[in-house]
Amino acid sequence: MNSFLSHIFKSTFLNIESNKQLFLLSIVTNFVAFSVLGLFFLLFVNLDMVFSSWDKHVQLIVYLDDKISNNDKIKIENLFESNIKIESIIFISRDQAWKKFQGEFSSRSKFITSLKFNPLPDSYTLRFKNDLNRLQNIREFSEKIKNQKGIESIEYGEKWIYRFEQFINFLRVFIISFGVVLFSGLIFIISNTIKLSIYTRKDEIDLMSLLGATHRFIKAPLLFEGILQSTGGALLALAAVKLVHLYIIFQFQGSLESTFRGFDFQYLTTPLICSILIAGMVIGVFGSLLPVNHFLKMRNLK
Amino acid sequence: MIKVFNLYKSYGGLSPILQDVSFEIKDGEFAFLTGQSGAGKTTLFKIFFGWEKFDRGQVLVSGFNVGKLNEQKVYLLRRKIGIVFQDYKLLTKKTVFENVAFAQYVIGAEIKSIRTKTWNALKNVGLVKKKDFYPSQLSGGEQQRVSIARAIVNDPDLILADEPTGNLDSEIAKEIFLLFEKLNQQGKTVIIATHSAEILREKKCRNLSLNRGKLFQS
Repeated sequence: MNSFLSHIFKSTFLNIESNKQLFLLSIVTNFVAFSVLGLFFLLFVNLDMVFSSWDKHVQLIVYLDDKISNNDKIKIENLFESNIKIESIIFISRDQAWKKFQGEFSSRSKFITSLKFNPLPDSYTLRFKNDLNRLQNIREFSEKIKNQKGIESIEYGEKWIYRFEQFINFLRVFIISFGVVLFSGLIFIISNTIKLSIYTRKDEIDLMSLLGATHRFIKAPLLFEGILQSTGGALLALAAVKLVHLYIIFQFQGSLESTFRGFDFQYLTTPLICSILIAGMVIGVFGSLLPVNHFLKMRNLK
Repeated sequence: MIKVFNLYKSYGGLSPILQDVSFEIKDGEFAFLTGQSGAGKTTLFKIFFGWEKFDRGQVLVSGFNVGKLNEQKVYLLRRKIGIVFQDYKLLTKKTVFENVAFAQYVIGAEIKSIRTKTWNALKNVGLVKKKDFYPSQLSGGEQQRVSIARAIVNDPDLILADEPTGNLDSEIAKEIFLLFEKLNQQGKTVIIATHSAEILREKKCRNLSLNRGKLFQS
């Protein structure tokens, strides 16, 4: 086993040594491709975080009809209380709402102070418990009560949230499609590098086979070389994305924090880092297996 | 050692390269395989070590049914055969010692055994003194000796030599044949493919002659 491992390392090193430039070129190509993917992931992770932090602040505001009967009001309150997903219910009377509104906006508009009547309705502010489906719970509940007698309207920034959610979904699909294209492209690049590596050492590989080497013995160093190229590129890309992350924090953290209420610019999550590295390995394995198997088949050895 | 029954092999040309070839080589035998260029000698050898497939017939080598050998298992057959080529197939960046040791290395032998067996093989062909030389520093005869040492280092039962003296002058060729005879005396089965009539006249060995794909024995 030890001699097999030393054979893998030794042969891989010799392969790299004889195709140094090509090996480096392949690493650089992998690095560039994974960096682009990594930057998209970085953008996605942070937009998703902004979205979830907004999601946490989303509240359902239920505006009541001016002419609501006491009976209907009690029915509505019972509906709220029977929903276990609701964390808190705050009633805001039209007078309270008007006072608050005047306090916030009177300095900006003379029109507001000149109004002789209160245009605002009574309302309930419902806060939902924190769980993964919080937004979905709000949506379902608002659908359920929107036609309830005594309710004038319901508000939770639905259109706005919907658009942002659509954008996040688009970004997700875009990154996945981009990843698939990148995946195939990188397999092609690595398989070409390995192909050249094989043809440089064709005589030696033929001889190995004639002398009774197993397929495993012939394939292993070439497989390892492919894995080194792609994971090497992926590791360098992760480091480059980290540098971009640090630069953004250094330059823009202050303004990001004030714009997005305490938002902390994040690096890629651990599952994403692992996915990039695993993708690198898979690309390396496939990229090298394709030309190796093809070569062995062509040489009538397979 | 080798049993061939009704072997057919065609490369798609008008006539097959091997037609209904049948013969047997016993353990410890020394035989020549003769015929003009393109007679099918190399193809027959390639079939023996599982490098070429054949169309029909049955080939048994060292206990392996070659036609039924799984591609993943063909290495087991090749470990039983020592192959010597006309063009030596030495690795130019490796020394004499490393070239011979390579045959041990690729089958995963222990380092200790690699050293001992390589040393013995070089001793057998009389090249110990030149173990650190590179192939380019050796004469044709010496290079072929290295190739023979590499073929015997794994202690195979059978040695197949394809035109081993094709690139050598007659004096050196005789030395190489003596070496094969010595290996045969040590118990190895040796088959040499050659078109050298001179050698055949001198040696009173079994001759399998291939002519237009057909085998004639003497």
